[in-house]
Amino acid sequence: MSTDIPWNLIAPLIVIQLILAVVGLISLYKAASTRGPKWLWVIIILCGNLLGSVAYFVIGRKDAS
Amino acid sequence: MRQFRLFFRKEMLEMGRSYKWLWVPLVFLMLGVMQPIVTRFMPEILKSAGNMPKGMTITMEPPSGAEVMAQTLSQYNSVGLLILVLSLMTMISGERQSGVSQMIFSKPVSFVSYTAAKWMSMLSLITVSFVLGYAGAWYYTAQMIGPVDAAAAVKAGLFYLLWMWFAGSLTLLVSSLLNPAAGIAFVSLGAALLLSLMYGMIPEYLAWSPGALPQLAITFLQREGGDTGKAGALAISILCMAVFFAGAVSMVKYKKSKI
Repeated sequence: MSTDIPWNLIAPLIVIQLILAVVGLISLYKAASTRGPKWLWVIIILCGNLLGSVAYFVIGRKDAS
Repeated sequence: MRQFRLFFRKEMLEMGRSYKWLWVPLVFLMLGVMQPIVTRFMPEILKSAGNMPKGMTITMEPPSGAEVMAQTLSQYNSVGLLILVLSLMTMISGERQSGVSQMIFSKPVSFVSYTAAKWMSMLSLITVSFVLGYAGAWYYTAQMIGPVDAAAAVKAGLFYLLWMWFAGSLTLLVSSLLNPAAGIAFVSLGAALLLSLMYGMIPEYLAWSPGALPQLAITFLQREGGDTGKAGALAISILCMAVFFAGAVSMVKYKKSKI
């Protein structure tokens, strides 16, 4: 296992991932109510990496109206 | 015109508030960047993940830059299209259901400018997301795999962008027709996939169909395309977008009169 991983090229992916997760969590914290229990969304956002945050933005968010 | 600008600003604001301007471009960027990286490290990934018998070796031809770009585009055709439809599906039906559109239409507003603002904001979201993702894919491919022919890449990107616009217009039309979000996503995604699938099966007869666009874009990248029906597919797609827009306007009008 001596493959040198070019972190400088992979780092942006991790950053994008982090941004999505953090924004998802902030939005979750601020939301009055979501579709489904909030604690479940926290787990989904944290564990299901890219798809988790996308799923929250698509399904979980209730548009404030 | 003033109404249009007002509605357009409202749509943009709404897309910002629902974080669409953040997550859709980011997801597209990630999709685009992922493909070159995964392709580059495929041998290592196989080596560490697979339980291969001892002594077995896989020799893989390192793919060319154009090939990786083509793979990225087909990635966009599945996951990208799904993300697109999911993010746009409630644009019209959502306001109808929450009662916002009833409130708007109690005043003398033009249906055309209402729908056009939604349409334009949808197009700008798609354009920004796709251009960002495609540029990311291009940069990473050039860095990790090899050079990409610039003229072919730009041409392929433009064709693909038109296909995404077409899919977005379709979603907007379906959103004006139906109410349930899942139904909208299912119908518009199904129609778009069916179009491109049918082109894959009988390309001779459907050379003019909008479903030919993604395949055309991929062919541009892989070799100098001598495909027939490019202009036809372009013209028909633009025509379809216009028809979808007109349909959406009349549906907004029709559903309003039923309330």
